Amino acid sequence: MLRVLAHRLGQAVATAIALATLCFAAIHALPGDLSLQVAAARVGDERVTRETADRIRREERLDAPLALQYARWMAGIARGELGRSLVSGRPVAEELAYHARYTIQLGAAGWLLSYLFALPLGLLAGFQPGGWLDRAADGLAVVLASLPSFLVGIGLVTVFALGLRLLPPAGFRTGAHMVLPALTLALSLAAFSIPVVRDAVVETRAAFFLTFARMKGLGAAAAFLHHGARNAAIPVVTFAALQFALVIDGFVVIETLFNYPGLGDLLVKSLVARDVPVIMGAGLLVGLSFAMVNLAADMLCLWLDPRRRRETKP
Amino acid sequence: MTEALAVEGLHIRDASGNAVIEGISFAIRRGGALTLIGETGSGKSLVALALLGLLPSGMKATGTIALAGARPFDAADGRGLQALWRRHLMLVPQEPAAALDPIMRVRRQLALAGLVGAKVDVALQAVDLGEEDGGKFGFELSGGMAQRVLVATALGTGAPVVVADEPTKCLDPERVGQVIGLLRRLLLDGRSLFVITHDRRLAQSLPGQLAILHGGRIVENGRAEDVIAAPRSAFGRAWMASDPAAWPACARGCDRSRLALSAHGLSFAWPGRPPLFRELDLHLPRGAILGIDGPSGCGKTTLGDVLLGLRRPSAGSVEWAGEDIVGRPDAIRPMRRRYQKLHQEPAAAFIPGLPLRRQFEALRLVVPGFDASRALPELLDRLKLRHALIDRRPEELSGGEAQRMSLARVLALDPHVIVADEPTSRLDPVVQRETMALLREQVEARGISVVMVSHDASLLRAVADETISLARAPGVPA
Amino acid sequence: MRIALPRGTVRLAAAIAAIAALACLGPVVAPMDPLEQDLMRVMEPPGARHWLGTDHVGRDVLSRVLAGAPYSLGLAMLSVGMSASSGTLLGLVAANSGATGRAVVMRLADLVLAFPGLLLALLLSGLFGGGILPMLAGLHLAMWPQYARMADAAATSILREGHVEAARLAGFPEWIILLRHVLPRVLRTLAPLAILGTGQAIMSIAALGFLGLGLRPPTPEWGAMINDLLPFLAEGIVQVAAPCAAIFATVLALSLAGRSLAGSTMPPSVR
Repeated sequence: MLRVLAHRLGQAVATAIALATLCFAAIHALPGDLSLQVAAARVGDERVTRETADRIRREERLDAPLALQYARWMAGIARGELGRSLVSGRPVAEELAYHARYTIQLGAAGWLLSYLFALPLGLLAGFQPGGWLDRAADGLAVVLASLPSFLVGIGLVTVFALGLRLLPPAGFRTGAHMVLPALTLALSLAAFSIPVVRDAVVETRAAFFLTFARMKGLGAAAAFLHHGARNAAIPVVTFAALQFALVIDGFVVIETLFNYPGLGDLLVKSLVARDVPVIMGAGLLVGLSFAMVNLAADMLCLWLDPRRRRETKP
Repeated sequence: MTEALAVEGLHIRDASGNAVIEGISFAIRRGGALTLIGETGSGKSLVALALLGLLPSGMKATGTIALAGARPFDAADGRGLQALWRRHLMLVPQEPAAALDPIMRVRRQLALAGLVGAKVDVALQAVDLGEEDGGKFGFELSGGMAQRVLVATALGTGAPVVVADEPTKCLDPERVGQVIGLLRRLLLDGRSLFVITHDRRLAQSLPGQLAILHGGRIVENGRAEDVIAAPRSAFGRAWMASDPAAWPACARGCDRSRLALSAHGLSFAWPGRPPLFRELDLHLPRGAILGIDGPSGCGKTTLGDVLLGLRRPSAGSVEWAGEDIVGRPDAIRPMRRRYQKLHQEPAAAFIPGLPLRRQFEALRLVVPGFDASRALPELLDRLKLRHALIDRRPEELSGGEAQRMSLARVLALDPHVIVADEPTSRLDPVVQRETMALLREQVEARGISVVMVSHDASLLRAVADETISLARAPGVPA
Repeated sequence: MRIALPRGTVRLAAAIAAIAALACLGPVVAPMDPLEQDLMRVMEPPGARHWLGTDHVGRDVLSRVLAGAPYSLGLAMLSVGMSASSGTLLGLVAANSGATGRAVVMRLADLVLAFPGLLLALLLSGLFGGGILPMLAGLHLAMWPQYARMADAAATSILREGHVEAARLAGFPEWIILLRHVLPRVLRTLAPLAILGTGQAIMSIAALGFLGLGLRPPTPEWGAMINDLLPFLAEGIVQVAAPCAAIFATVLALSLAGRSLAGSTMPPSVR
């Protein structure tokens, strides 16, 4: 157990270092003058002048030798200082905190919604493998899995916002603004969770110990309740926990599509604007969160499945 | 009715309409036992499934099944038969581990079967399990322990008739004694027993009736002692004769002056574990058969691997034609194909999915001048294999065919020594005898030496010139 | 040396052939120049001249969709091909080396897998200003570990099987064993992953294009096209729907083909 913990923590640290180094190397290896690009992002393309660029270069100390900048950057991260946004001037940590809140809300809502949808569907499909519901659910899952999340989003916007005029298409002012992004995320996640739930149910129901439980005298419902549910839950919960980490793949695109002011939106905008500190900060935060959620998922699995506790390798 | 279980005219047809079981009838008296023997594929497990109303969909059954205290059921009435579970009929299944919930504790599983409080401890004790075993999870039990839990469950449910489906299948061969003990325990408790098995030793040790299933019919049914002593049907006789204890003892002369294989001071231990064998000396003259005997887990296969140069021993030497090969790949290389192995799993030596002809043709890479098209027909004839089989894939062959094909492959390499690792243990008894006879015939004709690894002491007595016995390794659970 | 073909191989082959053909021939078949603007015919609905209408600067949408195939599909296939090859090679090396060699490769794979998939491609692509090479590099980097792990697991298990031991006993050299005994089965195990992976790659490339961090206009990459035309959704649904449909159709075809290759009609368990 401790070994898994240490392993995952080590992974998180290695991820952070690699990410930070990667960003740093990429930024500074790019052609073009960094200070010009930042200036353009800050004041607009038309109003960039030599003086503005020079000023920015001095302020952000972009003229120091590369190794020094790297050392400074890594040291800063270690201390928790992420610098200031080159575009807005605000501390990166502040920007991150502001946007992260929205992302967490969206991620949690989308994830919960997807299971609200996938669990009953997967259960019912699993109880009648090969039946019409099973085939329909499978078809739905394949279709959803073949649609990148932004296409799902566009579809939903077309239907609900433009067609039916029920919900606002973009931005964020009211809670209603979160519905479509969350729904989009939910559908993208459900594409994978529906088959997982369904397979878990089918495999468990086919297990001989369930038949044997009925031989011992338990009714079919009681047998599934006592033996089936717990065994089926393991792969499902495992996957659900991990999927929370995979939410990251989806939210970047979805937030951009809906102009939803979360971390993904911030990341994309700062990539376009070459806002180095924010890129690195956001990238680090995402990478670390991913590692942390994986760790939590691992711990959850270990707790749920006594077989995992006996395994010697992580 | 006076019998505990009576089956009349049971027919079972598979999905294509072919009859698998053709009208069998039998009865078990109260407190009695009936053992049904048959080969793999004879359909004997289907009989058990039919009794329980668990025939796979697609299979159809007709006939009558009657249990004392309940009305007779038509064999096709799966639901009706399932209603008899627990109160009238109980099963000890083939794969004990699969019948237990892996993540639930034993105590709780027994409780769900109706065994609560003190009754649980009584039940566990009756099958020689301790209190701490009650606290274990399903996945922590070995096959043998799981089986004991299942017998405890059967004892706890009070069902008068217990069906035991292939009770030795998932256990080590030497644990037959344990199974016999458990079944006797059930009989002591007043249950009636219906045992299905292909294991000869089990069949010969159980009291009551013995019936033999062959070709979908029961060809023998009588008191166990009578059937064993004097089987009346042709198949029954062949089955009894397949017992190596009945084979004539080996009486051959071998050339002691030349040693094909020898070992001195051989020891082997896995890192951090006690040694499997220590200071072992071994001499295999040309043309001799050396037996290596011992229970599972004692290191027989490992010893075979060491002799073949596949593993390095912790200490000692292994000589091929007098030359020490331990840790000397350059010494091994020129003689590599002369020292071969016959695997326990019949088709293991072949690449799955690839037609056998291609696999034989590839041998010319290691056997200079080997021409499959010329050498194969003769080889197949000698081993009584149909020529058409060479164009099949390994998984399409039956166990016996695959093992003989494997032998053909080994012989094609023109070896001096063959290490045969339990080569017939996965085969049915009658097939076993035929295969062993062919092996001996070929080996004698070509002057090959054999190291025969087996857990079956009576087999080795009949086949080997001399046998070495490896003691049970310390740390292996009983 | 082919093993019995599973059902659905014909369908799979057809699907892949069609997609590959589209990727290569798309621009050739396009009726008009995908880059030619005509500001007099902006956002025209589908008609006789422009079967899918024109976009916001008057370019023929059909031609753009067809011309975009090499980017959206071809690059996807290329990136998967690269990842699968390098991943398989590394996986086989890992399976065949001792404990340390294996540990090194697996740790490296773990490290990459610790990054959420799209993020890596996103960062690389975005940081280097989009374009083909950074995107390919990003996708390749993000995808190779899955193949390496799978190849290693499959190879390790195959190397323990009886026929490998039998071949060693017969004296076959190790490289022949890898080639005849191990590689065909490993490739067969990896094939469904590669098919599905191509679908994933298509979606990733489109997503990057959509975000403006992948291939940029005027390159007719489908995701970038959608991004361009989205503000005009109300006026021209068809123009937006066309690249959407192209993405969906190709990925769906690959998903179905990959599943039929994996041998089940029901979806395989994801984990």
